[in-house]
Amino acid sequence: MSDQSNVNFRLNNSELWGGLIGLALGGFVIWSGLKLKLGTINDPGAGFVLFYTGILICLFAAAIIIAALTEGGPTFGSRWENTRWTKPVIIIACLIAFAFSLNTFGFLLSSIPLMVLLLRLVDPVRWQLTIPIALLVPLGMWWILKRLLLIQLPSGIFEIG
Amino acid sequence: MDTLINVAHGFGVALQPVNLIYCFIGVFIGTLVGVLPGIGPISAMSLLLPITLSGTPESGIIMMAGIYYGSMYGGSTTSILVNIPGEAASVVTCIDGHQMAKQGRAGPALGISAFGSFIAGTFALVALMLVAPKLASVAIAFGPAEYFSLMVLGLVVLTFLTQGSMPKALLMACIGVVLGVIGLDSITAQPRLTFGRIELIDGIGLVPVVMGLFGVAEVLLNTEQIIKRDIINTKITHLLPSKADWKASAGPMSRGTIMGFLLGILPGGGAVISSFASYALEKRLSKTPERFGNGAIEGVAGPEAANNAAAGGAFIPLMTLGIPPNVVMALLLGAFVIHGLQPGPLMITQNPGLFWGIVASMYIGNLMLLVLNLPMIGMWVQLLKLPYNILFPLIILFTIIGVYCSSNNVFDVYVMIAFGIIGYFMRKLGYEPAPLVLAFVLGPMLENNLRKSLILSQGNLMTFIERPISAACLLLAVVLLVAPLLPSLRQKRELVALDEEA
Repeated sequence: MSDQSNVNFRLNNSELWGGLIGLALGGFVIWSGLKLKLGTINDPGAGFVLFYTGILICLFAAAIIIAALTEGGPTFGSRWENTRWTKPVIIIACLIAFAFSLNTFGFLLSSIPLMVLLLRLVDPVRWQLTIPIALLVPLGMWWILKRLLLIQLPSGIFEIG
Repeated sequence: MDTLINVAHGFGVALQPVNLIYCFIGVFIGTLVGVLPGIGPISAMSLLLPITLSGTPESGIIMMAGIYYGSMYGGSTTSILVNIPGEAASVVTCIDGHQMAKQGRAGPALGISAFGSFIAGTFALVALMLVAPKLASVAIAFGPAEYFSLMVLGLVVLTFLTQGSMPKALLMACIGVVLGVIGLDSITAQPRLTFGRIELIDGIGLVPVVMGLFGVAEVLLNTEQIIKRDIINTKITHLLPSKADWKASAGPMSRGTIMGFLLGILPGGGAVISSFASYALEKRLSKTPERFGNGAIEGVAGPEAANNAAAGGAFIPLMTLGIPPNVVMALLLGAFVIHGLQPGPLMITQNPGLFWGIVASMYIGNLMLLVLNLPMIGMWVQLLKLPYNILFPLIILFTIIGVYCSSNNVFDVYVMIAFGIIGYFMRKLGYEPAPLVLAFVLGPMLENNLRKSLILSQGNLMTFIERPISAACLLLAVVLLVAPLLPSLRQKRELVALDEEA
């Protein structure tokens, strides 16, 4: 956070963007509350709490934005300074791929490649360990869930599992 | 006399073989997650929440409670031997505990920490046993206005104590409320924020949200750093503290126990705050404060007693008012709700077996922990050598399976992955997930009680001020909201936040 003290207006100020996202979210919540009807103070409607929570979200987001503009804040780059940022990116990519494949290919055909990728790409584990772990853990879990706890995991289009 | 009969009844429940097994599993897993840095009791409890479905409510909740107080014991082992806190409440133990270990006094440090935890845990249970039924009888008189104000106070206290910016914490709490009210409106049955998805009609599940924000996000954050472990390799001896150690620790332990218990009861307070407060108090009271930071046993005894007493105290608002004072208790509330139970003032009278069974199981669990943490210390030290590059992929797989099993629904896996990614970015940008989760759990209750109060009072907002308990809660909440604006208090709050970050 080397440039935290920099008070100059900067577009890559992460605090500013955090506040703006909050403001947009607050606006959406207010709109949703209005759409659901506020009701009256004697008989609050379904949108009553949403509407007022939305106003609070906007107020707090505005406070964050004002602080970001007057006091400055760390840039996006400094938030990831001296970190191995590629590692979480790899995991996120693997998880998104897994999410897409889970319904189509089923639990076993999705989780085995997921484990191989996580074990090999993040902090590489030896192949001699990767293969047995990636195969045995999902298979073992599948067996326990299906046979012992009678929980059906997604089997996908190939109906494996 | 009634209390003794109830305790005997509780032991009857807790000593059933199946409950003993669940209690052991709970404290064992608690110690395990306490020992392993990077996984806290919240992740472990959310991971095991679906498992509670397979047994009776007593068994499930006994196990969940065991994980919580077990993690308080286990966390100190890692702090002392590796100088990495196993979980947040053990951060302070690193300061003097690791110094003691470096000086060849790892045994007494581990010993005093385990005995301190045991004594404080037992005290907290006795106090819980005596205070909870009395508070529950008072709480019966609580109306929706009191509940609403108490929940507002709980959320404000938590945001006040959360590290970093208060507007950010309050923003998180508001977002938590919005997420909590997704689904059918309880009064008008109108779908809210469901975006036409049938899966959202019942709202978003607690398990995928918590597992995403705490489990997946924690793994993502941990993989960013190279975790270096400086494990003390010398043989651990003299686990039983000497007379001098006991003498030096008696005062800090007693003070830490009482302070921890009281802070644990407060909504938003808890184990982390109490351990910091105890350390600060002992340092202030000491005639030789310069010893603190250089291996003072008082710096281990006080905070360890405080965090365990706080863990016991935190059960009081949940059991008597049905209001979780922190995220761990929110998860426990989730376990109660899964079993169709509503903790609150009537639970002790309507479900005495459950309440007293849980209390009695905690006595037994504390004894189990003493055995697990002293004679078996070698096993936990070996576990500290487990490589993270294997552990983290396994945690991810278990969270996926855990979420799926909680609802048999792939949609919940998507929700968990989404919240994992959101949680990671939130933490990177300095937004703490704890207020969001607590507000997520309290949100529907908060809304219900607010609307009920307004309907009952025919729209008279003064109902919140005219009722003394409600007025006191709201006044305290306002004081806490205004306090950070005062320069001296702002400085103190930032100091606590900095300490926690350290």
